Amino acid sequence: MFDEAISLSKLDSKFLLEVNSHRYGRNINACFACGTCSAGCPIHRVYPEYNPRRIIRMVKLGMRTEVLSSKHIWYCSTCQTCKERCPRGVGFFDILMVLKNMAARDGFAPPALIEQARQVRQSGLSVPIQEIWVNKRKELSLRPLQGAWEKAARLMEISQP
Amino acid sequence: MVRIGVYICHCGVNIANMVDVGSVARYALGLPHVAFARDYLYLCSEPGQMLIQQDIQSRKLNRIIVAACSPLMHEDTFQRVIAQGGLNPFLFHMVNIREQAAWVHEDKDAVMEKAKDLIRSAVHRVVFHRPIERKWVDIHPEVLVVGGGIAGIHASLTLAKAGKHVYLVEREPTIGGHMAQYDKTFPTLDCAACILTPKMSMVKNHPNISLWTYSDILKVEGFTGNYKVQVRRRPRYVQEDHCTGCRECIRSCTYHEPRFPNEFDLGLSKRKPIYIPFPQAVPQVALIDDKTCIQLKSGRCKQPCVKACGERKAIDFEQKETIENIHVGTVIISTGFKAFDAKRISAYGYGIYPDVYTALEMERMASASGPTGGEIVLRNGQKPKRVGIIHCVGSRDVNANSWCSRVCCLYSLKLAHIIKERTDALVYNFYIDMRTPGRNMEEFHNRLCREGVYFFQGRVSEVSFEDSDTDSGQLVIQAEDNLLGRVLRAEVDMVILAVGMEPSQGTQDIGQSFHINRSKEGFFLERHPKLAPVSTFADGIFLAGCCQGPKDIADTIAQAGAAAAEVLALICSGRMELEPNTAHVVEERCSGCALCIQLCPYGALSFDPERGKAMIEEALCKGCGTCVSTCRSGSIRQSIFGDEEIFSEIEGLFG
Repeated sequence: MFDEAISLSKLDSKFLLEVNSHRYGRNINACFACGTCSAGCPIHRVYPEYNPRRIIRMVKLGMRTEVLSSKHIWYCSTCQTCKERCPRGVGFFDILMVLKNMAARDGFAPPALIEQARQVRQSGLSVPIQEIWVNKRKELSLRPLQGAWEKAARLMEISQP
Repeated sequence: MVRIGVYICHCGVNIANMVDVGSVARYALGLPHVAFARDYLYLCSEPGQMLIQQDIQSRKLNRIIVAACSPLMHEDTFQRVIAQGGLNPFLFHMVNIREQAAWVHEDKDAVMEKAKDLIRSAVHRVVFHRPIERKWVDIHPEVLVVGGGIAGIHASLTLAKAGKHVYLVEREPTIGGHMAQYDKTFPTLDCAACILTPKMSMVKNHPNISLWTYSDILKVEGFTGNYKVQVRRRPRYVQEDHCTGCRECIRSCTYHEPRFPNEFDLGLSKRKPIYIPFPQAVPQVALIDDKTCIQLKSGRCKQPCVKACGERKAIDFEQKETIENIHVGTVIISTGFKAFDAKRISAYGYGIYPDVYTALEMERMASASGPTGGEIVLRNGQKPKRVGIIHCVGSRDVNANSWCSRVCCLYSLKLAHIIKERTDALVYNFYIDMRTPGRNMEEFHNRLCREGVYFFQGRVSEVSFEDSDTDSGQLVIQAEDNLLGRVLRAEVDMVILAVGMEPSQGTQDIGQSFHINRSKEGFFLERHPKLAPVSTFADGIFLAGCCQGPKDIADTIAQAGAAAAEVLALICSGRMELEPNTAHVVEERCSGCALCIQLCPYGALSFDPERGKAMIEEALCKGCGTCVSTCRSGSIRQSIFGDEEIFSEIEGLFG
């Protein structure tokens, strides 16, 4: 409850510049903390600790470690309501994309996500094929499921930010 | 024989510490046609000025060059000096070796060379300067005021008091504008109608004001000091000077009940085809809407209104529109604003959920002359128990209008007060910032805090409607409480949207008719936001009120007074000086291609079909040079910026 005061000089002032220099982070400075993003966010509605407005605030102050190591930044449902309603054109969804990439590079991506990415890379499918489906598809004379893993791998390669 | 005098100013140390002024003067003396050159400490001072004046006579100089500060500072000064010294003020050129040399470069040698280049260039140019006579136009003393809201009303009264005749043209059937629609005004909570209607009456009764309501501007011709304006006066089908405003016609109308949306009440109440817009309308004259009146549409009404009017015979179904041509010298534009259309933000539910209102609709509801007689009620007639007021609707928003509309925080506080006064409702205000600048405004905010209104810093994301267990559903406002960091659901009965201000309908047409610019937001553009907020780039046309940008009533009246003062200054001086660097057509060379005509931003160019030549109205020409550069045969010449002057300047520059 009684945390010590945030010492601005101890924060990473380059963090904001780093986010700002990304194409999808270029509007972060326009944010004036009105909270429209948080107010419309379905995740924040059920899980108040996940607060988009607060995350942008933390980026601006330079709280790099807290933000990038936080599990919260992976909770976005990608509904894009925040981006749609933002009056300053900041688009929290875009900022979050940048933060997730930075976090992943620093080794903070959740293991489940990494596993899924590996899955996509190997098989071209995000969910492994199950025995039941194979049989059902044969029964219904549907063509067998195939993952286009070369295309997936290529896509992942060229979409490096 | 051209004899140039070149004067180099030290400007104290501003120029002298970077430029060896003495050596520059000696250099100038060696240039062609230079009869005399010297440096001096402060040329703009009294002794400096006298020096130049004396030299003109004693040394028989017929061209003067001053190398000093910016012409924007002292060109006028030196022109006056040499005019008093007996030389035409346009046989002069000013070279800026301060802002363009001494003040902006660090390399002294380079600065010296630059100063010499600039002076040499001027020496070549000034040879081609010709004497120009200043021209003046008389200012016709009558004034046109476009728009009869509080701005137009105040400006008209001020001018009328000063003894000037004013045409006040208003397109609605009554003056008063938006202020007439309000219940109370912030921060004093004065009744809007009570402070406005006396002024409206004065306008009607003042002998110096010709009040033309239900009228539009059709066409504007002419130039500063002499505008010829065509005004269309639309038919009311009621004769203004016969009607006494008794309303018997309205009572007796074939439509026993009002059926059509009342525009003044924003559709919240109904009116009949024959009506008076609101009880205190000025003029107090009925009018008939030709789209809904049975007689005007089909000719088949028993006309009970005519019978009720009786001997006064005010109703005239044969009335036609009339076109008036007026001659005025100056114009004040006071066309006001329109409210942002809240339907554009679908997430807020306006036009979808019945109990979501705009602030202007709320003003009509709160007004004693409005649809509910001042009662704050929901559509079902019940009083609300919880009211949410949403700030910044359509303002400060990239998806709507980027600007802040300046008055909404204050009027939202006012509406909160009115609701608390007249109902037992809980009131919630949702804002991004609380903006209350100005005299007594923060005190007003303080008052509202103490009145127990709930304030939430948090922009509303959406207004939804949820079916609850009771008969009627529930409006829900969703916003984050920034200060607490938690999302709020505000279950309310009524939502009020604090809509922002936009330029009024028809602003574009007025701008085009009068050739005045608008800013990128669409409001009329002032000449300078700090130094000339009521002037436009067209001399003689001024702005007042919200047509120039959102503002409250106090600032509107201040601007109206300022515009009236500017107009009076022009009228009292009697005449206006024209630009000296105007363009003119050399007729023998004009091929009549007419390419230049549409390009003139000031409407100064016209085509004479009989002679097949372009013509320039000198009084309208601002010397922008567009036509000069466009003319394919080079038939348009411009004083001061002619080919000879410019080419010699270029040659001189490159030495």
